[in-house]
Amino acid sequence: MDAPSQLQIRAAAKPVVTPSGGGGAADPERWVEQHADALYQYALLRLRNPQKAEDAVQETYLAALRGANRFEGRSAERTWLVGILRNKIFDQYRTIGRETSFTDLGFYGDEERDRFLPDGVFAGGWIHELGPVEWKDPAAHCDRAPFWETFRSCTMKLPHKVAAVFTMREVDGVDSKEICDILNISENNLWVMLHRARMALRRCLETHWFTKPS
Amino acid sequence: MKRLQSLKMRWVTWVWNHTPNCAEMSRLASLALERPPSLSMRLRMRLHHLICAWCRRYEKQLRFLHRAAPHLDKADHDKPAVRLSNDAKRRLIERLNGQDPRT
Repeated sequence: MDAPSQLQIRAAAKPVVTPSGGGGAADPERWVEQHADALYQYALLRLRNPQKAEDAVQETYLAALRGANRFEGRSAERTWLVGILRNKIFDQYRTIGRETSFTDLGFYGDEERDRFLPDGVFAGGWIHELGPVEWKDPAAHCDRAPFWETFRSCTMKLPHKVAAVFTMREVDGVDSKEICDILNISENNLWVMLHRARMALRRCLETHWFTKPS
Repeated sequence: MKRLQSLKMRWVTWVWNHTPNCAEMSRLASLALERPPSLSMRLRMRLHHLICAWCRRYEKQLRFLHRAAPHLDKADHDKPAVRLSNDAKRRLIERLNGQDPRT
């Protein structure tokens, strides 16, 4: 999933000048009209702070404006803008990872423990009534906006750093090694955080979507 | 019938004793999305799945989330649930219009 956007970023960085007639790529009003909401939503999920998200969107547009003549029009304008925004967000993560720590091993260490048998022959096994239930045809839900709203709100319930790791890995499709480089965390800690994020998200979706009485 | 029951119980117990427990299996299911498990681990996980519907579901659901997640942003691109305020948009346009694209 990240391959095309990586290419995209490289393409955007390559100084190829194309004629930008017919409204042109750099038309601020149309740009804001068409993409600002989506970019803001993208940034808010990843930065968790309205002001920071707004700033990131502004910086994205400014960078895009400066590089408008380099936009090749080969791919969608939206993809190009999201690529720029994504790099800005990763830069912020990089700073956090350098200055403090991106590791969060406190989250969800114990929460799921009450779903496993504490002792006996089958200790560590799912307690049957509390184990994962069957999700009926989950792929069919992907076309439905409310499913994604639930997905989004479940992601928002994760602590910020855990959510950042989860979105980078699962939504943006960045691979483990690259995440570790950007966030300055060990691969082992990344795996622990991902495991807990997935576990919490799975449970949240099960509760708030798949088994929610309609 | 009773004999069959007891055979089944022995099989389940044997598999249980030779495979990771469910708590461990959930960790391994996540790890498998990061790097392929060794052949022997893969076999043990498979074996565990033979006796455990919960771990089968868990792994299947994790894989589903892994496949679905990349569509999150695309899914709400057309109609974002969260919107930038009109004030912020006006500020943004003003800022962009005041910017000489060549600087």
